[in-house]
Amino acid sequence: SPSTLPARLPYVPRVPPMALLGKVTATTFALDRPCCVFDRHANTSDTVWLVVAFANASATFRNPPSRADVPLYKQLPTTHSYMTLETAAAVYACPAPSPAVLRVGGDTACKDQGRQDPCNGPLPSPGPYRVKFLLMGCHGPKAETRWSDPILLRRALSPSTIDPVPTRRGSDVVVIASLLASLGTVLATAVLGALGAKVWSSLYQRDLGTSAFACRSYWTHHIPPALPQPLSPGCQCSPPGLGCLALQPPAPC
Amino acid sequence: MAKSEDCIHILQGLLVFGNVVIGICGIALTAECIYFVSDPHGLYPLLEATENDDIYAAAWIGIFVGFALFALSILGIIGIIKSDRTLLLVYIILMLITFAFEMASCITAATHRDFLTPNLFLKQMLERYQKAEPDNNNDKWMTEGVTKTWDKLMLQNHCCGVLGPSDWQEYTSAFRVTHNDADFPWPRKCCAMDAQGLPVNLDGCKLGVPGYYNSNGCYDAISGPVNTHAWGVAWFGFAILCWTFCVLLGTMFYWSGIEY
Repeated sequence: SPSTLPARLPYVPRVPPMALLGKVTATTFALDRPCCVFDRHANTSDTVWLVVAFANASATFRNPPSRADVPLYKQLPTTHSYMTLETAAAVYACPAPSPAVLRVGGDTACKDQGRQDPCNGPLPSPGPYRVKFLLMGCHGPKAETRWSDPILLRRALSPSTIDPVPTRRGSDVVVIASLLASLGTVLATAVLGALGAKVWSSLYQRDLGTSAFACRSYWTHHIPPALPQPLSPGCQCSPPGLGCLALQPPAPC
Repeated sequence: MAKSEDCIHILQGLLVFGNVVIGICGIALTAECIYFVSDPHGLYPLLEATENDDIYAAAWIGIFVGFALFALSILGIIGIIKSDRTLLLVYIILMLITFAFEMASCITAATHRDFLTPNLFLKQMLERYQKAEPDNNNDKWMTEGVTKTWDKLMLQNHCCGVLGPSDWQEYTSAFRVTHNDADFPWPRKCCAMDAQGLPVNLDGCKLGVPGYYNSNGCYDAISGPVNTHAWGVAWFGFAILCWTFCVLLGTMFYWSGIEY
């Protein structure tokens, strides 16, 4: 009769414990399949539904008396719960090789069309949600599992919270910059010093032969051409008409 | 007399050898910088979009400095062999200018490498990858560059995001505006692809089943070539400058000993 309470099964739905990066996203989550849970209560015509409710509304959820009263996905904002993933009970029967997880919220096509079918649309808010499985027969709910623990979906941060500034200066930069700066300074000083010394000495005509570098005095360079032969003492032509004059040899300095 | 002649010739020989090495290193620097500027890994659009592409500026300077070093080394060899004071003075002054430019290049490359942190690429990827409505032409250009580069990176290196696919889950992004979370927890390019370029198992990829999606981050694939670039320019340039410093000091010593 419709007033028979559904059997309370001890199974607790849960998010799969294995390492799946996408098991909880911002609008979807994954659940372990309830394999072998309904075998004692299910006929071949029965279906298993998933009830999804906000965690604070799960206590007030009432099982729908028939398939026609099932709350649909689009009623979630008003009734704070819906039922989805209508599956034949035989799919969860033992033994059954099956993919390990169910994905709640994976069907993006149905939410826009407003169909009356059970829609597994993406969840509109991060929740938290609680879920349970409900076995529905021709006359109403026959068995139900316990409510799961609250499932909180991911909340994404804005990228403006990312700070791209590096945390610390690398040591390579300090080494290169300081060594190069010192090399550059030494070079600049050396050039200025050498040029300055040259300018100074050429201004004051100082004899540089007393420098410390033994090589300096003898370095090859532009060898000036040989000095012209000194004039032999004798005639030097004077302006025409005056004849030769005898020159005295130049006196030593 | 013989001793000082030897002294001169040894110094000349050393300086000529030093200039030969500078010439060879100049060619090598030019070649290395041309290689970096040619961007064999296709990462330039990422750096251009961060508006932090100064390591490329450093490489461009390196190309011209390399040529200058080669030319000046020839000038130096001629000046030393002929003991021409004017030539050597010109050589010293031009070398100092080249030294200054190469210093700038090394320090720029080393400094700006530090700015290229994972967070910088993460923020840029989230804000620009598949951005639907660019603000202006410049923005559009940068967005296209970033999108194409990331697509290529993720496909070729089998990686996803900067630190991993969870980058796309932890932060909202321009990608998220046009691609809903349920169908695209991360971009399709993060899925393991078959030979036709289609995901092997799309549901497995969306769920994050190991083997059907790329779980590594792409930061290593980015920072490897960028590091090689920056350190190649900075440290090789630094080595050349140390050698050039010694040769220049020797040349100045030689120059100051030449008498008219």
